[in-house]
Amino acid sequence: MLMVDFQQLNLDRRKMTEKKYLETHEWYSLTENTITIGISDYAQGELGDIVFVTMPEVGQEFSKGDSMVEVEATKTVAEAYAPMDCVVVEINSSLDSEPEIINSDPCGEGWMVKAEVKNLDDSGMLYQEYENFIS
Amino acid sequence: MPNIKYSPLHSLHVKNKAKFIEFGGWTMPFSYKGTIKEHQFVRQNSGYFDVSHMGRLLIDKAYLQKISSLICSDLIELKSGKALYSIFTNEKGSALDDVIFWKYDDYILLICNAANTDKITNYLQTEEIIFQDLTEKTALVAVQGPEAISNLKALLPIPDSFSCLSNDIYTYARTGYTGEDGLEIMVNVEDLDELISFLLQNEIEPCGLGARDTLRLEAALPLYGFELTEDISPVEAGLKWTLSNKNKYRGSDVINEQIRTGHHKVLKKFSIDSRNIARTGTKVKAGNINGIVTSGNFSPILQKSIGFVLLESQPDTDLLEFEIRGKFIEGNILKKRFLS
Repeated sequence: MLMVDFQQLNLDRRKMTEKKYLETHEWYSLTENTITIGISDYAQGELGDIVFVTMPEVGQEFSKGDSMVEVEATKTVAEAYAPMDCVVVEINSSLDSEPEIINSDPCGEGWMVKAEVKNLDDSGMLYQEYENFIS
Repeated sequence: MPNIKYSPLHSLHVKNKAKFIEFGGWTMPFSYKGTIKEHQFVRQNSGYFDVSHMGRLLIDKAYLQKISSLICSDLIELKSGKALYSIFTNEKGSALDDVIFWKYDDYILLICNAANTDKITNYLQTEEIIFQDLTEKTALVAVQGPEAISNLKALLPIPDSFSCLSNDIYTYARTGYTGEDGLEIMVNVEDLDELISFLLQNEIEPCGLGARDTLRLEAALPLYGFELTEDISPVEAGLKWTLSNKNKYRGSDVINEQIRTGHHKVLKKFSIDSRNIARTGTKVKAGNINGIVTSGNFSPILQKSIGFVLLESQPDTDLLEFEIRGKFIEGNILKKRFLS
């Protein structure tokens, strides 16, 4: 019998819906003055197997739209862009050895960068809008 | 742009939730469960690839001599029941296409690259070689992996390596493009059902062109358009072993001159001790010799970046420097095979 873990489904759904999304398929979540950045479930699906991630350095400054992270998949290479002006405070170093976490949990354990906001621009799409955008 | 073509197995791929890609004018599966999973499955078990996009031309044996004057390998001395990898060369000795021949008593089956099917059919017509184009009347399925042959025993008598057989329904050879054992099987579209249910019953996993590409790269097999083009000769591509045609053939004087002088471009295998992929078009330096990556990807077995680089001439160092999006990354020329 197929068991469906509804609690897990709800958790996965919440991970996706509580974030905001960009047209370039990054997500960010904002807590106080810090944003966490990753790529969407749709983006990881389109990229396929992710094998390598080039991270920025802690302390590196980015303007909105700057390329922050390079994501290498077997199919192609993609970039994740800064959703707003920010300074990197933490990177997800577990992606060094296990970049495939981005495929399995793009909106949770597969987060890429945490950054301090320099210029708040919370203009990302809500999940519903993003779902319409990609469909 | 001509109409995009679909494989006779397309509805099966849709049912299997394939992600599709356009390739050589065809919509074909890129992946199902993921390129790396499919890659590992073929290395450890057995998977099937729909390669119906490849051109399939049936040629009467009367044209053997004529075909032979256009390719670099010896098709004439080849025994019936054997398969042969060869290259159609142009006046410059470079590759028009790399192809497989399956030689039977009365006919030869020529299997060419999808992107080159029009080029090859036009070429054969210009050379007044009559053929029957079976591409859209048949399907071509490659079953590959260490378990492929033991699985297929239940369906077909198994030929020796690089040999071909046929029966009322199937025309097939023990060939492939993954570095693994297996069969490539051609079947008329109306006779496909048995093969499909066989694949399903034996739990042979569907694999896409994504895995086909990483598998062939790990097996150091060239892909037309990358390692071989109308500007790259078999000698330059490191395929001297294909030059078994002792007679004169198109471009043979240029090819023989390249061998004599050693003055030509060289294709080399490389690896990088990281997961940094040096993709097609990446600039490379070997000492003061310039080069360009023809194919590069992540090797799921070696867990590092591998590929082919085309250098302007023979380098005197094995050290390579890749310029990957503004960063310089070191790698090495590999003399041995990628997989031991």
